[in-house]
Amino acid sequence: MMNPNSHTTPTTNSPPGDLAIWVFILAELAVFGVLFAVYAFARRYNLELFDLHQQHLNRTAGLVNTVTLITSSYFVVRAVAAIKEGDAKRCGRWLWSANALGLLFILVKGVEYQHHFSQGIGLSTNLFYTFYIGMTFFHFMHVLMGMVILFVVAHKAGRGGYTASEHTGVETGASYWHMVDLVWIILFPLVYVMH
Amino acid sequence: MSGAFTKTMARNIFYGGSAFFIFIFIALTFDTVGALPERDHRENINEQVILGKRVWENNNCVGCHTLMGEGAYFAPELANVYNRFGNSKEAIIGFIKSRPVDGIPGRRSMPQFNLSDEELEGVAEFLKWTSEVDDANWPPNIQG
Amino acid sequence: MQYQSQMVAKPYFIAAIGLFIGQIIFGLIMGWQYVVGDFLFPEIPFNVARMVHTNLLIVWLLFGFMGASYYLVPEESETELYSPKLALALFWIFLVAGALTIVGYLAVPYATLAQVTGNELLPTMGREFLEQPTITKIGIVIVALGFLFNIAMTVLKGRKTTVSLVLLIGLTGLALLFLFSFYNPHNLVLDKMFWWYVVHLWVEGVWELILGAILAFVLIKTTGVDREVIEKWLYVIIAMTLITGILGTGHHFYWIGTPEYWQIIGSVFSALEPIPFFMMTVFAFNMVNQRRREHPNKAAVLWALGTAVMAFLGAGVWGFLHTLSPVNYYTHGSQITAAHGHMAFYGAYVMIVLTIISYAMPMMRGRAAANSEKAQVMEMWSFWLMTVAMVFITLFLTAAGILQIYMQRMGGDAAQPFMVVQENIALFYWLREGAGFVFLTGLILYVVSFFVGGEERKETA
Repeated sequence: MMNPNSHTTPTTNSPPGDLAIWVFILAELAVFGVLFAVYAFARRYNLELFDLHQQHLNRTAGLVNTVTLITSSYFVVRAVAAIKEGDAKRCGRWLWSANALGLLFILVKGVEYQHHFSQGIGLSTNLFYTFYIGMTFFHFMHVLMGMVILFVVAHKAGRGGYTASEHTGVETGASYWHMVDLVWIILFPLVYVMH
Repeated sequence: MSGAFTKTMARNIFYGGSAFFIFIFIALTFDTVGALPERDHRENINEQVILGKRVWENNNCVGCHTLMGEGAYFAPELANVYNRFGNSKEAIIGFIKSRPVDGIPGRRSMPQFNLSDEELEGVAEFLKWTSEVDDANWPPNIQG
Repeated sequence: MQYQSQMVAKPYFIAAIGLFIGQIIFGLIMGWQYVVGDFLFPEIPFNVARMVHTNLLIVWLLFGFMGASYYLVPEESETELYSPKLALALFWIFLVAGALTIVGYLAVPYATLAQVTGNELLPTMGREFLEQPTITKIGIVIVALGFLFNIAMTVLKGRKTTVSLVLLIGLTGLALLFLFSFYNPHNLVLDKMFWWYVVHLWVEGVWELILGAILAFVLIKTTGVDREVIEKWLYVIIAMTLITGILGTGHHFYWIGTPEYWQIIGSVFSALEPIPFFMMTVFAFNMVNQRRREHPNKAAVLWALGTAVMAFLGAGVWGFLHTLSPVNYYTHGSQITAAHGHMAFYGAYVMIVLTIISYAMPMMRGRAAANSEKAQVMEMWSFWLMTVAMVFITLFLTAAGILQIYMQRMGGDAAQPFMVVQENIALFYWLREGAGFVFLTGLILYVVSFFVGGEERKETA
């Protein structure tokens, strides 16, 4: 459980970022964990259906998006490193770059969705698409959420809102973004590749 | 740096999290409404079904019965009553018509609603239509 | 009491308790009809008794929420209520409209009521919990708008605290979501789906915000713990409520014709719905343990802790019991649902209203911070009688539900018809009715405790 009085107790340097974001990251990972487990369970009983429709996914697009997110995570790492050296300008630039890659992810995924929807495929087409669209869309929303957070943090960094000694916000946003990245790194092989 | 969990942080999570899930919920609402025609067979909703639903509502049937499991638990489930009564509208009409005005001593009894023939036909059509909705194979068996 | 206009809450609380008594009497009538089927037939058929039972519950809880708002918002905002006159006028409008509706239910057949109130013009009647004539529904909207206006203006002109803000968000959501009750399409599936936008998003959504705000207010007042700490908890709890509860609506979309992906979404998110209730329990006990003062109103603190525990048990645990779709396939629409409904409503909403009444009433009656020792002891007895009775009602209904499912829905060809099963499990309905009378005893004791005098307990800390 979280301690509501944590502001009265001395704090250490780990984990980085705000404690609250870690509670929510754990909660998020739990939700995705449950979804992955349910997916694995459902797939076991519908192997043929899942393998058949998996063929119709665009793995190249998925791979591009995987590389995009990993790269953006690296940019975010550089942003944290920059602010630790007190370089707010550079920190802001890395964050904007990461956000641009987030946008690229959204565009690629959007084109994929567009392709499915134009073929009349939706959440209720069959169990595979329920999972594929459901889970990737839930993740898609997380990317958007992460972009909003990075946007706010980058904006504040640009105005000199963070320093080498006080940059909880940057670490908080970075932690959330890494979580979004991490979920995709599991989601991609699970849904696009594994059969 | 501090690991302080501030009230502002909690507030942001409340607003951000709520907006996030409200948006997803609205998106899913649209998807569901779009997917419904395949499941509810709305092309079969005719004047009789519409009248039947109104009779169902105006006599507060849901105050005793469940319909697709929703309602009161005092009287039998009716989403599959059409099937339970041998796929017969006449059986449904006959049952409703024959309820004694003063009830059955010591037992639960459906009131006598004095419905017109047209209304009876409507209710039966409504229950038949309901039995044909794709409700993921619920109830588990014919007993409801 | 710091502001004169807080007094306007008093008639609201008195009306709430009065209607509560009516609700329980009709509950007992229904419980009797479960075992003696022709009791009061055909004068008060079961569907009428049930409608009165559930509608009185909703109306008295709304009276309680409104009274709570009128009491706590001026104190939080540090200013007099925007318009006490409007509050009083709305009280009488709401009471008279509510009373007329109940009289209508009892005096004439429901179909006649539908006819004379012009249901044909805008048909909204005859759906569970939304049985009120359309004209009553419009009245509810008007009262709600006037009430919201009054509260919002008060908040705007005074200090803006998290408690009053959360309360205001909850009340606004309550009013807005009620508008879905006017949507009644010919298509039953659509009707059912959007019906839940009122019912679920009320009780597993915005009402929890109201509950959280009232609980936070009482805890701030009785424990003296730093407001910042309590308000932070409040935000985290209501965040979890909406994060889990909004998509948790999916657990109602398993078997009503809606797409089957809801079985996955509903199961995952509603399985998390107990979390905010668990946090609420941890929160309440933490705050009371860290109290910086000994508030003389022990009864109010007991109600507050009771709310947290019983809400977790009723809404959290009993909800979780049958929320996963493979389980719900068998439990849906059985006595299990009734068991959950009873404890959840009592634990979360009945108890929070009784909490704020217990806290505020002594001061509004011109007493010191709390009632006399004697009155409080009696009130605490009523707490235990009602709460223990409700636990037993829930347990008996759960037992009845398990047997019902076993006999009626399992066992293949040996499955028995509904009415046969009902007779087989009648013993549990008798036991439930017995527990119901214990509940009534507790309620009578509760009312009597208001008339016990003695030396009032003063602030000591």
